[in-house]
Amino acid sequence: MLELKEKFQALSEAIFDGDDETSLDEVDKLLREGTNPLNIFTECVEPTLNDMGEQFAALEIFLPDLVLAGDVVTAIQDKLMPIMKEQNIEGRNKGKGVIATVSGDLHDIGKSMVCLMLQINGFQIVDLGVDVSPINIVRKAEEMDADIVALSGLMIPSLPYMKETIDQVRASSKLGNHTKIMVGGGPVTQKWADDNGADGYSDDSLGAVRLASELMGVA
Amino acid sequence: MNQKARIFDVIRRSIEGPIVSESDFDMKHIYQNLKKIVKKYDIKITSDSFINFDDELSDRVWKAAIEFLAESGVYCKDTGRIVQYTEREIKEAIRMAPRSAVFGEGNDTVYEYPRTADDPRPPVSLGGSINVPCPNEYFVPIMLSYMQEPRVDYHCPTTNLTTINGIPLRTRTPLELFAAYEEISTFRHVAAMSGRPGMPYNGVGISVSDVGELAASHLMKKTDSHSIGVISELKFDNSIMNKIAQCCMLDHQICPYCNPIYGGLGGGLNTQVVLLTAEMIAASTVFMGTTVGTTPTHPSLFCSTTKELLQMTSVAFQAISRNSHIMTRLTHTMVGGLATKTFMYEIIASCLVATKSGLARLQGPRAATGAIVGAASGLEARFQGEVLHAAVRIDRSKAEEIVEKAYNLYKDDLDKKPYGKPFWEVYDVKTIQPGKEWLDVYEAAREEAISWGLPLDLV
Repeated sequence: MLELKEKFQALSEAIFDGDDETSLDEVDKLLREGTNPLNIFTECVEPTLNDMGEQFAALEIFLPDLVLAGDVVTAIQDKLMPIMKEQNIEGRNKGKGVIATVSGDLHDIGKSMVCLMLQINGFQIVDLGVDVSPINIVRKAEEMDADIVALSGLMIPSLPYMKETIDQVRASSKLGNHTKIMVGGGPVTQKWADDNGADGYSDDSLGAVRLASELMGVA
Repeated sequence: MNQKARIFDVIRRSIEGPIVSESDFDMKHIYQNLKKIVKKYDIKITSDSFINFDDELSDRVWKAAIEFLAESGVYCKDTGRIVQYTEREIKEAIRMAPRSAVFGEGNDTVYEYPRTADDPRPPVSLGGSINVPCPNEYFVPIMLSYMQEPRVDYHCPTTNLTTINGIPLRTRTPLELFAAYEEISTFRHVAAMSGRPGMPYNGVGISVSDVGELAASHLMKKTDSHSIGVISELKFDNSIMNKIAQCCMLDHQICPYCNPIYGGLGGGLNTQVVLLTAEMIAASTVFMGTTVGTTPTHPSLFCSTTKELLQMTSVAFQAISRNSHIMTRLTHTMVGGLATKTFMYEIIASCLVATKSGLARLQGPRAATGAIVGAASGLEARFQGEVLHAAVRIDRSKAEEIVEKAYNLYKDDLDKKPYGKPFWEVYDVKTIQPGKEWLDVYEAAREEAISWGLPLDLV
């Protein structure tokens, strides 16, 4: 059972229900009452999303519920970030990056689950979609100076493209060795990740969040 | 009636249909629509049983699935448009689905037909751990291990070739083309060496894109099965339509399949069962399948043998078998691997649920989630065939009792990932015979199942 201060209960429920209108109204109310915008994140949004992540891992709620909650949180972020900037309040950003299903592979849902779980756990991840070539993954990662590149592939013929992406990230003068590379998907294993220069491997979305947190050195 | 005449209609609708963004398709057409339809038809799987006994529920699921499919349509990723058919058109297309199918030739001819839940005829058994990765040197031995099993009606080349002339395989390159040639021609050679030259081929497994399939189609026969994956959920692209169009031109048999992910866009049990049914109807109508298949998957265990998945599969297959003559097939995936008891118990449960749900063909069993290198051998396919033949000798209630026993023995193992051993550690790779360790596990499972009342000793 998620325990929050009473003043945050209504916002938490609205996030859970994917109700952006009610959520934004509640945020306005909290701001009027003098609540620090950062506290709205740390004491309400993040615990709510963590709780939803655990419920999703237990299959008590499902991917669309996370998608709707994610949309609501994006709307909240869009509202609060300018205020925080104005007030010189530093937000919590665990890391930013890209995720993609590599070339030749159209499997989408597993990658989307990982993406959502990372996003709701405080990582700014851009989903590049499926069948993405190594060069396009690297270009986008360079454009945003990515901390993380997450690669998914469910087919054996995906693996050479995954390897190529890893090589190109390492060869990038901008990304070099500071960008962490995570891999996952059917034929991918810890051994494959170790042998091919990835920084980490996970076989499910919850594990991906733990891995990303470890790689970024955040709680 | 030849439903492949619909091909140009499908193509035209994919070009001229309503424009929808992919995210709107996912959340509005699929998810919100499912919730609305499930509420309207009061779809709730409340029973604790694995095998469905509620005929009225499966009939409601059927009606819900048709209405859902008519409203959602099927999404073309390349055009951003929906292929949409009315309920009337869907029902007409269902009536035009093939009523039987013939695969293979001579002594290895396989006859497929629509089955019912209590059908006295066993489903067809396709033995193969489809798409499991494997080093090239075991491609032939593993295939031989399946083809030598009389209970294997037909086979899908088990293993994805990993290299071609030492170069790691890449899709949409000439390597895929060569791999497709190698897969099919090796299959024919091994079939002949096994004394089963007429065995139908189910593929092209290695062909992720259309490159391999189109290039190698001339090596396939009208009595083979083109297994064509549709994108989850209810989506396709031109690469998929190219494969289908090729089959139409060559009068080959289209065997599309869908892969609903439990907990994904289809949500939980009650919405997933409608989605699964609708996806198989779409495979028959939009993709003109001779038979229609599915590989439902758990999002973290990567198997089809959790309780929810067995339940939804049962209701969905019964919905189809009770209300149409569409021929269905299931590719089942287990967590347990070779030489593990978990694997055997999962096979028992899944085979019984599928047989008692009106399935026409069962494909697999895929060991160790189908992703562990070399996790494939003919022995589990032998067991699958035996269980299918025994399953039709007992009634649904007895089957349910046995499923429950088996499930209680494997359910706590699933998250421990007992992936077992690879082929070369449980078979003699020279004689292509199972080793003692694997045989002992198989024999023990047989005896235990017989003691539960599954008449494996009579088949």
